[in-house]
Amino acid sequence: MNEKKSGLLIDNLARQGVSRRTFLKYCATLASLMALPPTAGRAFAEALAKSHRPSVIWLSFQECTGCTESLTRSHAPTLEGLIFNSISLDYHETLQAAAGSAAEAAREAAMKENWGKYLLLVDGSVPMKDGGVYSAVGGVSNYDTLMASAKGAAAVVAIGSCASFGGLPKAQPNPTGAVPVSELVKDKPVINISGCPPIPVVMTGVLAHYLAFGTLPELDKLGRPLSFYGETIHDRCYRRPFYDQGKFAKTFDDEGARKGWCLFELGCKGPVTYNACATVKWNDGTSFPIESGHGCLGCSEPDFWDAGSFYRALSLPTTPLEKVALGAIGVGAAVGAGVALSNRAAKAKAKAAHQTATLDDLEK
Amino acid sequence: MTRLADIPVVMDDGGLTGSAPAVLREVAALLETLCRTGETASIDLRGLPLSLADRRWLLERLGKGEVDIALDIGGGSRIAETAYPGVWWVTHDNEQGVQVGEFIEVSYVPELLAPHPEDVENGLDSLKTRISELS
Repeated sequence: MNEKKSGLLIDNLARQGVSRRTFLKYCATLASLMALPPTAGRAFAEALAKSHRPSVIWLSFQECTGCTESLTRSHAPTLEGLIFNSISLDYHETLQAAAGSAAEAAREAAMKENWGKYLLLVDGSVPMKDGGVYSAVGGVSNYDTLMASAKGAAAVVAIGSCASFGGLPKAQPNPTGAVPVSELVKDKPVINISGCPPIPVVMTGVLAHYLAFGTLPELDKLGRPLSFYGETIHDRCYRRPFYDQGKFAKTFDDEGARKGWCLFELGCKGPVTYNACATVKWNDGTSFPIESGHGCLGCSEPDFWDAGSFYRALSLPTTPLEKVALGAIGVGAAVGAGVALSNRAAKAKAKAAHQTATLDDLEK
Repeated sequence: MTRLADIPVVMDDGGLTGSAPAVLREVAALLETLCRTGETASIDLRGLPLSLADRRWLLERLGKGEVDIALDIGGGSRIAETAYPGVWWVTHDNEQGVQVGEFIEVSYVPELLAPHPEDVENGLDSLKTRISELS
């Protein structure tokens, strides 16, 4: 019997030196992140431990491989990585040893063997212009590969903002006619795990939910798991108390910035961006962009690249993303006029004093 | 690697936001439920917009109890009893020593401490084998 292919997840983890308490600790944290009751950690761990390795086929289209890097590049082996290793990854162009027709044959064999049961993970958008000629593998367009692979899938998981919403390839003027997966696959559940890249634990969290419960998590109106995308970055931001107190950094090197005040006036898109960065964080839990002194770019929202300057405050509406902000912001709307004045004043002051590292310099 | 805490930036502690007393009242309600029904509960502190001052206020109000346990399970974890029996302050670090979870757990025995029945069974088998090897 092929041990690698048949073991329960807990046995796979035990072989890699992961104790049950370590696993329970991970599940308690994951359950909490997924808005399951924190005390459901043990039940979650029980169900997950007894799960079998699902077959996973990962297709890469118009993408930069950042999503794969996000999942596989950590400074030390993590449980996310180990769980990822525990799935039966039958096809992944970046990670697989096979190449050429042998790789394509492996994908077709895995599809046939697990027809109706495998998970199809897709990163990258699909080019539709000029017959989809702008991205193809083995002479087959991404569109044809996607539609053929989706037929036998239990569900399709769009990994990253490109697969979820079109991402950078779809940015104006969208030269390849890029579209997201959900625009093409209509007869299967499509889960969007947006982000550029998405957070590793969000990817494994969805896989873990599927493994443990055999179902997909509840989704928001954009097809994202509510447990990770149910609240804005702003809602969970540790700088939120400063926003409520009206304490804002005006430039990246003023007193407010040094005191860690809210970055709203420096263009932070946290109030309209739904993601879990503020709680899960990045780089093995070290920090997230706002903690490093830079506002959120809004990378997990549709068309974030075309939503105007990253350094323009949300309450200066000119683009779709910012229009959303108008409805979402309470205190922010009140300070909006002040921000506009502040931006102009800062620009004039910077010109006069030849200052560097200001908001306006970054926009040049 | 330089950690965030090593960078010499003086952070404003944010002052009290009013959230901490609400958490304290929630702890009291959960403790009452534990007493009446035995039902355990947990509050995910990282999921709440608490300022540093709020956190400090909560820690001070909950105080220190008799039990303080350090675990080494995929990174360090600490389970500290507060001055209120049944209320535990639980923190989890990852392998790099970065905190990845912080909870207030309300239970008679923290969930993580109890061994899994399968592990106990396996341990019993191992112990029996060792005893059989004695003779």
